[in-house]
Amino acid sequence: MIYDVVVIGSGAGGGTLASQLANSGANVLVLEGGPHVNTRTDFNTHALPFEFQSRHIPTMRPGKPGYDGERSRGLGGKTMLWNAVALRFSQRDFKGRQHDGVGEDWPIDYADMAPYYDRIEREVGVCGNYDHLEDLPDGIFLPPVPMKCSDIAIQKGAAEMGVKVIHVRKATLTRAQATRPACHFCGNCMAGCDVVAKYNSYDVQMAPALHSGKLTLRHNSIVYELAVNDEARVREVRYFDRETRAEGAVEGRVVVVACGCAQSVALLLMSKSSQFPTGLANSSGQLGKNFIPHITAGFELFLDDFVGKPSENDEGFLDHAYIPSFMHNQQRDYARSFGVQFGYHNHRAVGWAREIKGMGKAYKEAVKARYPAYMTFSPYQEMLPNDDSYIDLDYEHLDEYGLPRARRHWKLSEMDMKLHNDMKRRCQDILEASGAQIHSVSQEPSTNHEIGGCRMGADPRNSILDSTCRAHDVPNLYVVDASVFPSSSEKNPTLTIMALASRTADFIAERLQKKEV
Amino acid sequence: MASYSSDRRNVLKLFGAISATCTFPFAGEELYGQTAHEHQMIVPQATNRFFNETDYRTVARIADLIIPPTETPGAIQAGVPEYIDLVVSRDAAHQSLVADGLRWLDSQAKEMGSDRFIDMETRGQLEILEPLCETADAGTSQARNVQFFGLIKRLTADGYYTSKVGLIDELGYKGNTARSSYPECVHEH
Repeated sequence: MIYDVVVIGSGAGGGTLASQLANSGANVLVLEGGPHVNTRTDFNTHALPFEFQSRHIPTMRPGKPGYDGERSRGLGGKTMLWNAVALRFSQRDFKGRQHDGVGEDWPIDYADMAPYYDRIEREVGVCGNYDHLEDLPDGIFLPPVPMKCSDIAIQKGAAEMGVKVIHVRKATLTRAQATRPACHFCGNCMAGCDVVAKYNSYDVQMAPALHSGKLTLRHNSIVYELAVNDEARVREVRYFDRETRAEGAVEGRVVVVACGCAQSVALLLMSKSSQFPTGLANSSGQLGKNFIPHITAGFELFLDDFVGKPSENDEGFLDHAYIPSFMHNQQRDYARSFGVQFGYHNHRAVGWAREIKGMGKAYKEAVKARYPAYMTFSPYQEMLPNDDSYIDLDYEHLDEYGLPRARRHWKLSEMDMKLHNDMKRRCQDILEASGAQIHSVSQEPSTNHEIGGCRMGADPRNSILDSTCRAHDVPNLYVVDASVFPSSSEKNPTLTIMALASRTADFIAERLQKKEV
Repeated sequence: MASYSSDRRNVLKLFGAISATCTFPFAGEELYGQTAHEHQMIVPQATNRFFNETDYRTVARIADLIIPPTETPGAIQAGVPEYIDLVVSRDAAHQSLVADGLRWLDSQAKEMGSDRFIDMETRGQLEILEPLCETADAGTSQARNVQFFGLIKRLTADGYYTSKVGLIDELGYKGNTARSSYPECVHEH
């Protein structure tokens, strides 16, 4: 059978698009490289470290196959284990080049995305406060969760620097919706939410869409090649079974790649042919280039206000507050900006106790006194694309299936480092004003949130996809994950991945209807 | 200019940052990669120990001096020696460091007129360990005996504060509950 749409990957992008298209009447097949995961019974959401000999809480319950680290291969992809921060990008984020003269603009505007942000927020439920900020658009919000006492200490310190602290915005329910209960604040969101108060693409979107009878999920199917025909259309999606290694192939009128940034790029790079000798849809030579992950720094600190106080049950749903970008409109010697996530630590982990000085009774007392005061604080910055930051394939180190690994290269320019250093200095100022003893500061920048490598753009000579996320070179091929972002913003990417996938789903539905595929 | 290329382990840690509890060191890191697929819940049983009897007692004694019993139990009662035994049994570098460290402790004991570290009075043991702890905390010395103490302290902290005694009784962890709403802060700031 030929499916209308074959979607590779079941995370935020693939899950959103597949369920929407199935609900609109298209015959959709989702190929997921990992196993089926039962959110309610497979995770260790409520485990404590001493229940395990190694004192390390494993992701999955005993005997359950789960995610393999590099790819988050498993039903729902990274949405199962994410922290659910759901921020809209602003017009500045889509038009960074217009704003500060460097980097790349998106081929679309905030106005193009706004209705899709609306749609996603209504569909999945996002809590937040209406803050009326010019650079962080409000959405359609469920009630926010009160800030933690520790957040208020930071809010007060930040206010002295003229910096605003707002309620975090998360795709976690604060009111029951459809079949999902409100969050019960057990504090272990990133171990997998067993009640689905936190959004994941399977329980919230794909499982309901199965009722349409139009959605087929095929687990444990690792796609390794997209084969094209003479008309430069994807003819066949080739995969093998993760367990038996049996090979298979399916056909779709439309093929959507949504494997999660580096893995989507890797699949296209692996799909070489005589027409596309350097990788599928790569006539521009840009595939894998413009890799722009978020760059982070990390602080650990103890808030004076809470040292020596009794321990309280303040876990909540990890971080309850956020510091939105405040540098984008100020005089500075760099482009772009940063935002700060903080207080997202889990009180089950006390790794910092290792570094407290001393031994004996005094040591024990020092750890106990600091326990209620401990906080994590991580600014996230946007980096600009450069020639030294890209994704390629490592044929020297094949994975367990004999496939080349996706290799990430990144290098910060002088301008990126200026931003990084200013970001750390300003964070330090905020922390000091908040009455914090800084316990540790990251020495080197690190990455989080993989973004770029398969960017969209108006010009086929320097981008892979058009403004609908369709490949310039291959008329029935689409990509919907963060690899398509031409610029990263400093804001968390997932809500934008979902809104963009929903927008692309609309284009595909229309093209299927008009038989334009 | 800062330049980075991800190797496999970094990639795993990168995704750890997205998906695990936090971006900072967590207990259990010592067993990183070895237990990712370990799905065995703890089963109380007489296990074959890696350390011999004397070494086990010595390591246990050091752990209990680092985190002693006070109003709450200390490291031994919290099962820390068993945890250290497990971690060291899986790491050859740890094994050689611990062997050297224990030998060094006994040589110090001999200089102070005892046969073995484990036979000494508490005062003598602390006289050896406390200066070592100070040097280890400063983080500047690569000497084997300092590295040895640093390892035992790290494992003791990890083992103790992830135990029921350490996390619940000592630190007063109160999370992992179900509540119908999250309370507004009523403190004065």
